[in-house]
Amino acid sequence: MTAPPSIQPFDRQFFTGKEKFTAIGRGALGGKAQGLAVMKDVLERSLVPAFHPRIEVAIPTLTVITTEFFDQFMSENGLAGVALSDKRDDHIAGAFQRASLPAALVGDLRALIAQVHSPLAVRSSSMLEDAMFEPFASVYATKMIPNNQFDPDTRFRKLVEAVKFIYASTFFKDAKNYLAATRHTNADEKMAVIIQEVVGVRHGQRFYPHLSGVARSFNFYPLGHAKPADGIVDLALGLGKTIVDDGVSWSFSPAYPQANPPYNTLDDLLAQSQSTFWAVNMGWPAEFNPIRETEYMARYGLEEAEKDGVLRFLASTYRAHDDKIVYGITEKGPRLLDFAPILKFDLLPLTRLLRDLLRACEETLGRLVEVEFALTLDEARGSPARFGFLQVRPMVVSEANIEITAAEMKGPGVLVASETALGNGLLDDLQDVVFVKPGKFDVHRTEVIAAELEGLNHRLTSAGRPYLLIGFGRWGTSDPAAGIPVNFGQISGAKVIVESALPETSSMLSQGSHFFHNITSFKVFYFSVNPSDSRPIDWAWLDGQPCAEETPFVKHVRPAVPLTVKVDGKTSRGVIRHG
Amino acid sequence: MGKAGYNSYAMAQFQFDRTAEWLGLDLPTRQLLRAPMRESQFLIPLRMDDGTMNVFRGFRVVHNDARGPAKGGIRFHPDETIDTIRALAVWMTWKCALVNIPLGGSSGGVACDPHFLSLREQEQLCRSWVRLLARELGPHLDVPAPDVMTNAQHMLWMLDEFEVLRGEKTPGFITGKPVGLGGSLGRAEATGYGLVFVLREALKDLVLPVEKTTASVQGFGNVAQHAVRLYQQLGGTVTCVSCWDQKDGTSYAYRRESGIDLEALLGVTDRFGGIDRKKASGLGYEVLPGEDWLAQEVDLLIPAAVENQITDENASAIRPRVKVIIEGANGPTTIEADRILAQRGMVIIPDILANAGGVTCSYFEQVQSNMNYYWEKDEVFGKLDVKMTSAFQSVLEFARAKNVSLREAAFSIAVSRVVQACKDRGWA
Repeated sequence: MTAPPSIQPFDRQFFTGKEKFTAIGRGALGGKAQGLAVMKDVLERSLVPAFHPRIEVAIPTLTVITTEFFDQFMSENGLAGVALSDKRDDHIAGAFQRASLPAALVGDLRALIAQVHSPLAVRSSSMLEDAMFEPFASVYATKMIPNNQFDPDTRFRKLVEAVKFIYASTFFKDAKNYLAATRHTNADEKMAVIIQEVVGVRHGQRFYPHLSGVARSFNFYPLGHAKPADGIVDLALGLGKTIVDDGVSWSFSPAYPQANPPYNTLDDLLAQSQSTFWAVNMGWPAEFNPIRETEYMARYGLEEAEKDGVLRFLASTYRAHDDKIVYGITEKGPRLLDFAPILKFDLLPLTRLLRDLLRACEETLGRLVEVEFALTLDEARGSPARFGFLQVRPMVVSEANIEITAAEMKGPGVLVASETALGNGLLDDLQDVVFVKPGKFDVHRTEVIAAELEGLNHRLTSAGRPYLLIGFGRWGTSDPAAGIPVNFGQISGAKVIVESALPETSSMLSQGSHFFHNITSFKVFYFSVNPSDSRPIDWAWLDGQPCAEETPFVKHVRPAVPLTVKVDGKTSRGVIRHG
Repeated sequence: MGKAGYNSYAMAQFQFDRTAEWLGLDLPTRQLLRAPMRESQFLIPLRMDDGTMNVFRGFRVVHNDARGPAKGGIRFHPDETIDTIRALAVWMTWKCALVNIPLGGSSGGVACDPHFLSLREQEQLCRSWVRLLARELGPHLDVPAPDVMTNAQHMLWMLDEFEVLRGEKTPGFITGKPVGLGGSLGRAEATGYGLVFVLREALKDLVLPVEKTTASVQGFGNVAQHAVRLYQQLGGTVTCVSCWDQKDGTSYAYRRESGIDLEALLGVTDRFGGIDRKKASGLGYEVLPGEDWLAQEVDLLIPAAVENQITDENASAIRPRVKVIIEGANGPTTIEADRILAQRGMVIIPDILANAGGVTCSYFEQVQSNMNYYWEKDEVFGKLDVKMTSAFQSVLEFARAKNVSLREAAFSIAVSRVVQACKDRGWA
C-alpha cells in the first residue's frame, strides 16, 4: 500500500501551498490516511460542488509521515527490545521520547512548524488500523497540540514529542492485546503519522469545533421507522473524543433527523445528553507530560460553551415549570444539546450531506463504512459552515443466516436471553465464563474491577481461551459510575459480552463509542439484559460451576460442557444456553 | 593536501575578484575583503619529552568579522602555510554569510606532525597556542574548532587553558567538544547530512527522483560516511567510494554496481576513513585505481576528500551521464575544471554551500554552549535542514534570476551580505 499517485510530496508550504494533502517519505500512508486519500478525489468531484456555498466540504489540510520513517526510527534508535518487552506503557513512551527522529524527517517538521501557528492533530495511521478489512479504531493514540507558542523551537519540540508518542502507542499494552486478539503480531504493524490542522474556532483558551460526529452507514439498533441501512449519526459539541471515548452523543437516523433519541422522561434525556465537551487547551497544560494523550486537551462544562457563544445554533432549553424542551437558548434553564436548528429546522443541509457522504464512501470502498467529521459554523448566522472530513473506516457485519425460535429463548437451559443482542452467528465451543460477582459489584469500585478483568483477560488470552464475559452497567464507559471503564484491549479475549444494566442507570448501550464499534467489528456477540427482564441471567447455575480463578470482584468458571451462543442479527434476538 | 603547484589562497582571491567585479564593488571594499583583516604568526617553543627544545610556527587569521564573532578551524599539519590558512579563513567568511549565520571567518593552525608528538607534547602545544592568542580569542571574538588532525581532545585542552586564563567557565570559547562536555549532538553527522539536504533540494529542482540516482564518492571520512548514509536512506545508490590507503601510499576506488553496503564497508574501515583493501575485496568489491571514482557511470559525483581533485586534466574522464557534482570538500574543483564542466551543462553545487552544514552545526554548538542548555538531536537536525534548504533556495533563485552558475550565485550572495555588514558598520 504505497502513496497513490494523486498524493503529492510535502513541499514545506503546509497552508499556503497548492496541495492540501501531502506525504513526507516514500513509504506507505497507513490505513487511516489511505482511506482519506481514496476518498479525496470523490469528495472534490461530487460533494464539494454540491454543497457549496452553504457547507464548505474538505479534508482538513494534512501531511502524512509515511511508514519508512517509523522503520528508520525503530532501527536507528534500537527500540525493538523495549518496544516488544512487557514494560509499562509509560516506560515504553519514555524510551521513545529519548530517541531521535530520522534526520531526513525533522527538516520538514521544522519547516511545517515555522508556517503553522494553529492547533494540530497528530494521529496514528498504521498499516492495520482502519485498513480496508479490519478496523482498528482507537487502538493507537491521537495527540492534539495547541501549536500556538511564540517560540518555534517550543512548537517544534511539542510536535516531535507528539510524533514519538504516536510511534510509542504502537507498542502499548492495549495495542499488543488488540493485535493478539486479531491474530496479528507487532511485526505486521508499521505506523504512519498524520499531522492535520484541527477544525475548530478559538474562544479564549479553548479551541474546538462546533460539533463533531461519527456517522455509520449501518445501524444495529434501528428505532421507529428507521431501517438498519439508513445508518446512524452521533453528534457532540467540541472534539470527537466525547463520542469515541466517552460514549456520549446525540444519536439520530439520517432518515429521521427530527426524531429524538429514545428516553423515558425528560429528566432521562437531560441526564443522558452531553453535559461536558472536550477542547484543545490553548493555555498552559495542567502538567507538562509528553506521554499523556490528553496533555493539551481539557474538558469543560456546557456553561463555558454558552459563554463562548457557540450554543446558539446547537442547543435547546429545558423549561422546568411546564417540564418542556423549548428550542433555542433565549430562556434560562438547563441546556440540552439536541442540535435542533440544524436537525429540525434545516439551518444547514447536514443530514443530506451525511447521507451523500456515507453513500459515496460505501460505493468507493465497496462496504459498510463509518466516518468521522467535525464542523464549524459561522457564529453570527450559523451558515456557511466548514465541514472537515476526518476519516473513514469499514464496518464489519456478519452474513450468517441464524434463526432463533421463541422456544429456544425459554427453559432451564438458558443462561442469558436477550431481544437486543448484537452481532450475528453461532458459537458452540465456549468453555470459559468470567463474570462480575453480583453480590460484590460496587459502582464505586469499577476501576478496580476493570484491573481485575485485565489480569484475567491476559491469562486467558495467553492460554488461547476465548471466554464469555458478564458484567454490570455500560462496558467501556469513561464514567466509572456508569459501568466498568475498560477499554477493548483489557477484555480483548471475550467472544461474547453480556451487559446487565444497573437499576439506577439507563439500559442504553454506548453505541457511539469506538468500544462499541470494535465489539461489532471483531464479531463479538453483545447481549444487553435488564435485571427486571422476564428472562434474567441464571446466576445460580453460574455460581455452581467449577471455579478456575476468583478475585475480590470477579470469578472465572469453567463449565464441564461448552456453551452454545446464537445471535440473529436480523431480529436482534440472542440466546446463550448451557443445556 | 592537494596536488603540487596549487595555491588555495590564490584561488580564494580569484573567486573574490570575479565576484567583486560582477557586483561592481568599489576599491576600498575590495581591499578590505580581498585579504584578511588580522593575521597572527608566532613561534611556539616547546620542551619535548626527551628534554630537548623544539620551535613550532603557529597561525591565526581572521578574514572578516563584520557579521559576528569569527569562526574557524585549527589544523595541525607539517605542510601548513599561511596561504592555506588565509584561504580557509576567507571561505569561512563566505560560508557563514551564505547560510546566514551571524559569524565571521577565521582559521588557524600549527605547522607540526602530530604523528610524531606524544600526547603531552600535543597538549602543551595546544595550551601554548591559546596562551599566545588569548587576547584575540573568545566566545564573542574568535571561536576555534577542530580541523585537519585536531580533535575533541585538543579542543578540551584549549578550552581548559582559556578558562584558566580567564578565571571563568566559557564553554562557548571553542566548538567540536565531546557531547556531555559542551559538544552538540549531531555535530559528527552535520557536514555530511547538510550536503545531502542540499543535494535533495537540487534533485527536486532537476526533477530527478533521488531513488533513481546513483553516486560515486571520493573520500570515506566523516563527511563522506554520513553523506552516504543519508543519501542511501533517501533511496539513492552509491556504487563507488574511494579513499587513501596509508599502507600502500596511494588511493583506491571500491566499486559495487548494485550499491555499496555502508555498514559492511565501515566494518573494514579504520578511524581515518581508510578502507582495508583485502577485506573489501573479500566482501566482493571491485578494487580500482583511486582516480577511477571520477570516471564512474553515475548521476552524481561527491568529492568529499581534499582540494584540487577535479582539474582540467581529468575533467574529460567524467562520464556524460553525470548531472550533478556536489562539493563535500573545500575547493575540490579547479577554476579551469569548473569552466569546462559548466560548458558541459553540469550542475556544480559549490563547497561553500554544500559543506556548510559543519560550520552551521558548530554555530549551533556555540549557541548551546553560551546558553549552557543543550538541544536534542531532532532539534539540531531540524534546524540544520531548514538552514541548508533555505540557503540552497536563495542560491537557486539568485542563479535563475541573474542567469549565473550556482557557484557565482553563492559567492555573490555571501559577499554581498558581508559587504552590507561592513558598510553598515562604516567600514566600507
